[in-house]
Amino acid sequence: MDMRHPVSLFVVFVLTIILLAGSSYAIPAFSRQYGTSCSTCHVDFPKLNDFGKAFKDAGFKFPKGDEDFIKVPPLMLGAPAQKDMWPHVIFPGTIPGMPQIGLRYNQFFQYTSGNANNYYQPSGAPGTPLSPTIPRTDFEAGLFSIFMAGNFGSDIAFWVDDDISVSGLNANGALGDGYLRFGNIGRFLKLPTDALALRVGQFELDLPFTQARSINISTYDIYTQANIGSSSQNVNNQFSMADAVQGVEFSGGHQYGGYHYSLAVVNQNTGGGTVSSATNVSSPGGFFSDSNYKDIYGRFSYRFNLEKDPASRHDVQAAGATGPRDHTYLNLGTFFFKGRSVQRFNGLTSGGAADVLTAREPFYRFGGDFSFNYRTFNLFGLYMYGHDQDLLLNSGFTGFVSGTPAKFNGGFLEADYLALPWLMAILRYDHVQSTADFLNQADSGNYYSPVGTTRDRVTPGVQFLIHANIKASFEYQFRPQQALTYDANGKALNPFRTNTATGALEFVY
Amino acid sequence: MKRTLTMMMVMAVIAMMSLAASAGTISGKVSGVSGESVVYVDAIAGKTFPAPTAKPVIDQKGLVFQPHIVVVEQGTTVEFLNSDKVAHNVFWPSVGGNKKLTHNLGTWPQGEKRPFKFDNAGAVPLLCNVHPEMAGYVVVSPTPYFALTDKSGEYKIENVPDGSYTVTAWHEGAKNQSKPVAVAGDSKADFTLSK
Repeated sequence: MDMRHPVSLFVVFVLTIILLAGSSYAIPAFSRQYGTSCSTCHVDFPKLNDFGKAFKDAGFKFPKGDEDFIKVPPLMLGAPAQKDMWPHVIFPGTIPGMPQIGLRYNQFFQYTSGNANNYYQPSGAPGTPLSPTIPRTDFEAGLFSIFMAGNFGSDIAFWVDDDISVSGLNANGALGDGYLRFGNIGRFLKLPTDALALRVGQFELDLPFTQARSINISTYDIYTQANIGSSSQNVNNQFSMADAVQGVEFSGGHQYGGYHYSLAVVNQNTGGGTVSSATNVSSPGGFFSDSNYKDIYGRFSYRFNLEKDPASRHDVQAAGATGPRDHTYLNLGTFFFKGRSVQRFNGLTSGGAADVLTAREPFYRFGGDFSFNYRTFNLFGLYMYGHDQDLLLNSGFTGFVSGTPAKFNGGFLEADYLALPWLMAILRYDHVQSTADFLNQADSGNYYSPVGTTRDRVTPGVQFLIHANIKASFEYQFRPQQALTYDANGKALNPFRTNTATGALEFVY
Repeated sequence: MKRTLTMMMVMAVIAMMSLAASAGTISGKVSGVSGESVVYVDAIAGKTFPAPTAKPVIDQKGLVFQPHIVVVEQGTTVEFLNSDKVAHNVFWPSVGGNKKLTHNLGTWPQGEKRPFKFDNAGAVPLLCNVHPEMAGYVVVSPTPYFALTDKSGEYKIENVPDGSYTVTAWHEGAKNQSKPVAVAGDSKADFTLSK
């Protein structure tokens, strides 16, 4: 049996859940600790303003004079003078004076195109069960998450978030990020301040624009793009940039100005899969992930400060007459991910000998990004190229030969305009080009991206902050007219649009 | 000559005694609310007062306006200081409920002060649009006769000339209450405010 399609089905199911559930966080625990509003750090939470970026870079602390702002003093785990006694005592640190816990819940309402059910056309003999109807309207339970973040003094910060339930199902969530970050460790090497930090645990890659803390309801298509080869390819790489990874990350610089870099060594996150039915894989057969090799992710960016106001050019934020605003800036960056997609073949060779073959298909992703900000207008975008080497079993099933690589590319362009402090207007364009997706599409089961080598989407949206911690979001996803089948003249049969209107209501506390 | 001097001294003593008799006090208690309130004598027809030269300072420290409430006489210049290591803004949406008197002093960094002369009487709610949770008040009294109550609501306004006045009590978030008070020596005026 060809297992590619069930795997694809699983992938798109997961993607659909992500698409509907989204994932974003703001930290009301910090509001409690500092006695300040969410808007001190966020523009339309969870999007960070420059001060929020500086707060995060500093290890969840005010960049200067943190102790002057804390309303709930931290608990000392040893008198500061104990530092003089080290190594004969435990080096003193602190824990937050109150549990740094925040909670978040969201829910959705979705409206789909009128001809959406052309996607499920009757097939087979009369009486064959049909796929479920795609409803025009649908209320959907969202995500209930718990998250904790703060610092332990000595520039050691922590973050843990976990989805307690997803789509109304108990215990169906998972750990999002969970890490310790050791800030400014470069001081031990006499490096400039903030030139080197270390993060250990599970975390979202240092993406140019975060997916986990995006303000959008739907995910960026390119971030969730896995690379599943066509039937003539063995590529079955389920890694996507939006995945949380486990490993270590070195980073330096600042997100709010000047240079920033990160270099992460992480576990492979590529799952196994099966090759086409032409192979001789026998029971139990299948493939298993192999994490003996580690993947590498790197990023470098530089933010050019174009702020004209000399008085605040060197501050974290510009000080306008009506309050602070992010600097005018242009941020340029690049990133790459290099790894191996591992698939193991457990079966018999054509000669009848027991055999285990491991295909380690090198793959890489690289791209560039930019972000331009002028007052409350932010235009940003990203382009990414993906390439997976294809290793095919040789004729004797004793090794591999190189096949045609599986490739894809795409990106997004987004404009965010904060028209009022509580009103955000968004316009976004997503684009993914993948030949393999097109070849696989007919049975992919992914209603949201069923047809074509190129998937385009235009998504206008608007978001209202009802309070600083309650938000109503709306977006409409425009997609081109599509069809699953065409007549001899190339005319689309039963065309349909997979346009979707989604509303979300979420709160954090 | 000696008799003349004696007469002058007697007249001076009489004059001083008469002055003391005409400068009374208004005291009492503001109840119905908790915390500090402000009590002041409203504008007196036909009477003006010179602008004070003292410049009280309101600090922004630890994301808090300090002090939370400042009472000044009309015409006083108040200086707004930022002692925090983050930028602060000071603006007010109205003065005495008059939204046409809204003003934005701007945003400035640590260590700087910006002055403003309050020429209009009324309560001025101070806000910071960097930190929307911050709030403070300048209460501008039209006369130099005012007092900030203690936390139990007790107050005392001293050196009020004898006469008839309208006295107003203000409390954050409560409705103002005014009442006529005849001052002749020590006078009493209690207020019960509600939100």
